[in-house]
Amino acid sequence: MSPVTSPLTDFERNARAVLEESVARIDARTRSRLNQARQLAVDSAGPRHRRWWRTFAFMPAGAVAAALVLAVLLWHRGPAGHESPLLEGRITGVEDMDLLADADGLDLVEGWDGPFYEWAADQPDPNAQSES
Amino acid sequence: MSEFATLASPYSMLAASHGDVDLTDEAKTRSRALNQFLAGVELKAFKIAQMALRHEDDALDAVQDAMLQLARAYADRPAPEWKPLFYRILENRIRDMQRRRTVRGRVIAWLPFRGEEDEDEPDPISQAPSPEPQPVRRLELDEAVGALQKALEELPRRQQQAFMLRTLEGLDVAGTAAAMGCSEGSVKTHYFRAVQALRAQLGDFYV
Repeated sequence: MSPVTSPLTDFERNARAVLEESVARIDARTRSRLNQARQLAVDSAGPRHRRWWRTFAFMPAGAVAAALVLAVLLWHRGPAGHESPLLEGRITGVEDMDLLADADGLDLVEGWDGPFYEWAADQPDPNAQSES
Repeated sequence: MSEFATLASPYSMLAASHGDVDLTDEAKTRSRALNQFLAGVELKAFKIAQMALRHEDDALDAVQDAMLQLARAYADRPAPEWKPLFYRILENRIRDMQRRRTVRGRVIAWLPFRGEEDEDEPDPISQAPSPEPQPVRRLELDEAVGALQKALEELPRRQQQAFMLRTLEGLDVAGTAAAMGCSEGSVKTHYFRAVQALRAQLGDFYV
């Protein structure tokens, strides 16, 4: 038998009456402080927090927008190993910015000698021949 | 706390289309309901906290913190959820304070010089006996309150909590389990053992 689910016994009824009596004897100073604490708590549940709820209310819309942006980016990315034109353009733009910010890099661009570097890259490596 | 996190919140959009400062009628009603709820539980909550902490100011702090947290975080919950939520928060605060007190006690025990804490000294005015003659009934109640309080303070914390929530606050098994953060079976066990221990100590209790 569980005393929690069964009707209260005389002992429990008496204990409750005594506990209620002890509550009734709480002094005025304590009651006043509890009253002040309650007013503070009720005030704190006011408009300031409704602003948060409003923010959360718009969270689903923000999440949907973020998911759409992500989907568009992934769609443009295409198969693995092939960067999308959007991303390529963005990376090229960033490299250009680095070159413009770097004075030495700008000089290199101005004195560009493309054919020479292409010819040099095509030449066989003399060290590789000597090792074999 | 975790079981409350999934509960529905039909009041979450309360006053969403109105200004921040102007409260709608619904919000005012909600505020009044919260005030009424807290007014209904504050004295019992204080008694429960005082029983657990054995210190009036700490008990007041714990109840105040629980009120604030309920109002700030859970005011938009349906009103029937407030009571188990409030007592769950209060129990967490009591536990925190007991832990802090234990740590502080260990630290102070190691200090070579420690002065008396003025705030713990009893107020001589409140300790002075009342000059008014007390009737026999009043004396009987005094004895009964003192004996029960002493017996309750000697109970293990969980048994004390189950007994107070059930007997003084009148929470049902489910509500007590939610407030204590345990299963309903555990509540029944704690409560049963509390009643057994109190009955063994107090005998045939009378008022």
